[in-house]
Amino acid sequence: MASNDYAKVGEFKPIDLLAVSAAREVTDGEVVFAGTGLPMLAIMLAQKTNAPNAVCIYEAGSVDGRPIDLPTSVGDARCHYQASIANGLWDVFGQLQRGGVDMAFLGGAEIDQYGSVNTTAMGGYSPIGKRLTGSGGNADINALAKRTVFIMIQEKRRWVERCSYITSPGWRIPKWPNGEFVHKKEVYNKAFRGGPWAVISNMGVFHFDDDGVIYLDTVHPGFTPEQVQDNCMFKLNISRVSGETKPPTYNDLDLLYNTVDPEGIFLP
Amino acid sequence: MGRPQNVSLAEAIGLIKDGDSLTFSGFTIWRRPMAAIMELIRQGKKNLHLMEVNGGTHDDMLIGGGCVKIWESCWSGHELFGKIAGNLARKVEAGELICEDYSHIQMLYRLVAGAQGIPFMPTFAALGSDILNPEYDMLGKAGLRDGSNPKIPAKKYEMYTENFTGAEVALIPAAQPDWCIAHVQMVGSEGTVRVLGQKYADEEAMKAADKLIVITEQIVPEEFIRREPEHNLIPPHLVDYVVELPWAGHPTGCFGAYEADGAFIKDFFTKTRTQEGFDAWAQEWIFGVKDHEEYLNKLGVSRLETLRASAALGYSQKVKRGSR
Repeated sequence: MASNDYAKVGEFKPIDLLAVSAAREVTDGEVVFAGTGLPMLAIMLAQKTNAPNAVCIYEAGSVDGRPIDLPTSVGDARCHYQASIANGLWDVFGQLQRGGVDMAFLGGAEIDQYGSVNTTAMGGYSPIGKRLTGSGGNADINALAKRTVFIMIQEKRRWVERCSYITSPGWRIPKWPNGEFVHKKEVYNKAFRGGPWAVISNMGVFHFDDDGVIYLDTVHPGFTPEQVQDNCMFKLNISRVSGETKPPTYNDLDLLYNTVDPEGIFLP
Repeated sequence: MGRPQNVSLAEAIGLIKDGDSLTFSGFTIWRRPMAAIMELIRQGKKNLHLMEVNGGTHDDMLIGGGCVKIWESCWSGHELFGKIAGNLARKVEAGELICEDYSHIQMLYRLVAGAQGIPFMPTFAALGSDILNPEYDMLGKAGLRDGSNPKIPAKKYEMYTENFTGAEVALIPAAQPDWCIAHVQMVGSEGTVRVLGQKYADEEAMKAADKLIVITEQIVPEEFIRREPEHNLIPPHLVDYVVELPWAGHPTGCFGAYEADGAFIKDFFTKTRTQEGFDAWAQEWIFGVKDHEEYLNKLGVSRLETLRASAALGYSQKVKRGSR
């Protein structure tokens, strides 16, 4: 069944489409920062399909590994297999700050219309809100990679006009110490490299316009733009929808289930 | 001290005082000094101040054990095996733990500055994040930036426009914790430290701290470890105490030695979401065993053998990790 034909609705699961859509955001030859979870599926699939020359950096310190078993976190010994370098955070975050990272996969619990993300606390900062993991590299990577791609769950309470806590800075952000909201360029000046590029949810694929505002680009098969809007707190721009998200190909599904994640770690 | 002292784990941990500041080797659920964490809890340490590049199973356990007053870091959780650090979250939400958030680069740079002996490092990282919101300077709000504790800087950070190119950067203050407790694969008989696999932020953590305790899977002849000095990380004169204790990173993973014990971590995460749950868990796994040897015996040989890493791959392929 392995071919480049698109699978039909019912032949793939929502998580497959998330992984495949994320993989398709990688351009061949790019230097990519990937984090734990679905980003690992996405970068490994991209390297076996549309981006065979992409270089994957894991923030714990491994560079350009060729894992034969799917890592479950960036510190995993599996990231190290056939890597060119196994170093540490000083090395790889230095490459990021130097401007050498083209794109990065990230996630979050809450996202706003400017691509800022919250991974720290929901409903207020400590001790009021519900404590999450904290930034990790999210704030650094969204700040300093040329393009970031978020993989998010589409739920109304998670898609908000402004994050209750901005962990990871998007296109319009507070300039500290005063906190006035300005475009990212006014905060980063010479260190400005780019920012949020795409968001992949379980309902659609989103990109950002020239003002740094999110818009719906494609809807996944089975959903309407209105349904996506219903799962956003803010008024979503659905005027630029270009069509339906392309389903996974049979080849994508074969690679995902038989090569990338045959143990069923992230996939069912 | 020119050469480190070989001591037992209980002796090494006995040197740490209530209120001391600590940092650790490793990354999230990888190569954490877990036996030392359990011994800190067993010895009933209080008011510890953690300054670490990121957290994981180790700090969540230490916090659950009531040993920690201040946590300065950027992340904690159990990766795939527990989506948040449940004990840390509970204590933060109850106002029982002061949590000072930084980003990964910022926290790394605090230890870099500490290791280099300079007062701060500049960075572009995380500008525009609420990490820099003055409202969220939690040590400041608690009145702890008054200079009375030499380990707490007077400010969380400072924005600065430099005069070379006119760039605006955040200056992040140095961190020099009292102690680094590191877990590594190999130490020479005179104290040379070798770390295999990814190095994470180990070098910075070990060099930033005033005192370094290294716990090692094995001590090897110094002559052996000095055959390839380019593979070594830390010389003996920077090490204060060495503890030889195999499997002392369990349940976290140790490259080339053993896999992270995901089932154990998941069980810990699930059972310790309440304080009562933590206390019952600790009664079984920390207070219910005399020392690390009894802990390993309780785990059993077959469990450990499943986790043992392949010499070729650096990890184990015998662990069932997924649903298929």
